[in-house]
Amino acid sequence: MSDEKRFNILHLYPEHMNLYGDRGNVLALTQRARWRHIPSEVMVREIGEPIDWEAVDMVFMGGGEDTHQARIAEDFLKIGPELASRLRDGLPMLAICGAYQLLGQYYKTAEGRELPGVGFLDVWTEPGTTRAIGDVVTQTSLPIVPESLVGFENHGGRTFLGEGARPLGQVALGQGNNGQDGTEGALQDRVIGTYLHGSLLPKNPHLADLLLKWSLERRGVTDSLEPLEEEEEMAAHQTIVARSRNS
Amino acid sequence: MSFRVLLAVLAARLAGWISRLTGRGGSSLPGLVARRIAPQVLTRLSQSLGWGTLLLTGTNGKTTTAAMLRHVVEGSGRRLISNRAGANLILGLTATLAQAERWRIFPRADLAVLETDEATMPRAGQEIRPRVVTVTNFFRDQLDRYGELSTTVQYVARGISFVQPDGVLVLNADDPQVARLASGSHEVIYYGLDAGAHVEAAGYDALDARFCPHCGSALTYDRRYYAHLGHYRCLHCGWQRPQPSVAVERWSRSEEKVWVRIRGEQYVFSWRMPGIYNLYNQAAAIASAVALDVPTATIEERLASFRPAFGRMETVMAGPTRLWLALVKNPVGFNQVLGAVADEAEGRQAVMIVINDRYADGRDVSWLWDVDFEYWVGRLKVDRWYVSGIRARDMAVRLKYAGVPKDLVVADEAVVSLLTRATREVGEGTLFVLPTYTAMLEVRQHLTQMGLVKHFREG
Ligand SMILES: [Zn+2]
Repeated sequence: MSDEKRFNILHLYPEHMNLYGDRGNVLALTQRARWRHIPSEVMVREIGEPIDWEAVDMVFMGGGEDTHQARIAEDFLKIGPELASRLRDGLPMLAICGAYQLLGQYYKTAEGRELPGVGFLDVWTEPGTTRAIGDVVTQTSLPIVPESLVGFENHGGRTFLGEGARPLGQVALGQGNNGQDGTEGALQDRVIGTYLHGSLLPKNPHLADLLLKWSLERRGVTDSLEPLEEEEEMAAHQTIVARSRNS
Repeated sequence: MSFRVLLAVLAARLAGWISRLTGRGGSSLPGLVARRIAPQVLTRLSQSLGWGTLLLTGTNGKTTTAAMLRHVVEGSGRRLISNRAGANLILGLTATLAQAERWRIFPRADLAVLETDEATMPRAGQEIRPRVVTVTNFFRDQLDRYGELSTTVQYVARGISFVQPDGVLVLNADDPQVARLASGSHEVIYYGLDAGAHVEAAGYDALDARFCPHCGSALTYDRRYYAHLGHYRCLHCGWQRPQPSVAVERWSRSEEKVWVRIRGEQYVFSWRMPGIYNLYNQAAAIASAVALDVPTATIEERLASFRPAFGRMETVMAGPTRLWLALVKNPVGFNQVLGAVADEAEGRQAVMIVINDRYADGRDVSWLWDVDFEYWVGRLKVDRWYVSGIRARDMAVRLKYAGVPKDLVVADEAVVSLLTRATREVGEGTLFVLPTYTAMLEVRQHLTQMGLVKHFREG
């Protein structure tokens, strides 16, 4: 791995797992890299295609409908061991909604079928009786300012955390992982699993930059990121934060 | 006649009268009151229609298609009841039938054409037992309301199961999720595009249905008109697009004409609303009219005099400024509207986008990231972008990441003051106003107060 400044993001299954504007996360990351003159490339990978792991600086995977999720599950389990070993080695990943569930131990469908996950994240998902839908505001324990993360959740599953995973945040508005323990998302090594759409990163630029920083560190680039003007992003962020105060 | 039904209808009219008196035009009260008094009221009222009911559903194009169909059917001399745009949930349908007459209890109309929300289809089907169901298309929209696309398709399939045995289904052959709804027990009139020339699907489209509904394999497209609409087949199980009996074969923007083959014979119709998606709307209206036995000559004559409905690309002059209004509500529709804006490259131009996130708009604005602004920004000759509505800031961020320079974007949540400012700044030129549903209501209300558009009521 050379220490040239580059940012290559591997986007897994963009055709199948592309619910609710999740591609906005990839747009946000690559734009924020380019604005800092860091060359950036999106590596798109669908079912059965090879992956040049050495070139990958970060992995992104979004949510999909149950039927689409079922189609990629087999292939995802196949690349699972390789992916998991690289994630344990510190490769950053952002997994949203369905991808978050698939990175866990297992998830149970509404019909009660238990489907295995990749098993990297120490989380598991049970079916819920109703869908959790609405704005979300959480307070994260990540070293970023502000501490708030905002987004929109829309999921049927209820996810629970084991010993190995920390929550990404504590819910101030919305349901979060399961509507019971007040947690949202999971954090393990440099992997973030979350239910937040919105799109998430465009209105949480501080989280986007943390992922960028982690990715560049893999290439040995340790100097801090050049700050960017983020008036618009934080205004959009505050629109949702304000809703947690009014609720 | 049951006394309860009589009472329900009278109470609904009273409730409607009171809500109009108190200025709440689009109240759900009449339907609520009627159903509370007589739960069977919708069934009883619809049974009294001589011919029966057509339910029109699908993600996009319901309102435009319904407006066209209404206009066509009215020309055939038959008495018709139909609901206003937006009054398409069970309460709205009930209110529409209960308030159809002034003095009589049961409607004298021969038939009803009811635009129906997808999730209302099971209930509407069960209570009304329609003669015809027309389905336009399935796109991702309103997902935060119903869950997933497949759930929406299931709702509509359930509604279709209640169609009368001698009834007809009018289905879009080019949308695999719609074409699959053919039940085998009902006659089907398929409509679609059969144009020879290849039409390039412009821009990025979030694809919703690329998989065979029967075996789950990826579908192969020989031709794609937009998003997942086109000529598809499954190489795995052999299922393929059915041959439409109402097929659009050719169209001309300059002549404003469209050539349609109906059961083997070619006809030429007027075509006023630009965009491939409006061709589909028109084909859906024609196929529905065929299902209602409207003579082709009447369809021809009435389409020539049709004018677009509420918010579907209309223009209004505000002093020297031309306001061009179009509703935006999901990625595919937004891409189509931007395509139409790109075609209008004349004079000074600005775009105003108004994004609300109330229930009727869809509370999740994530879909803005599925609109291909990256593709369109360079192709539009726009001097300035105005963003407004409850989620103005999200729209400002979207434009920023699509590469629009900061000094070209003006953001302000307050719709009326920004619209006023934008109109003044554009002066002699065109302002494209692209609002979500409730934002469109705000814009229209303001324009009405300015005396620029006719007063209208929205359900
Ligand atoms: Zn098949």
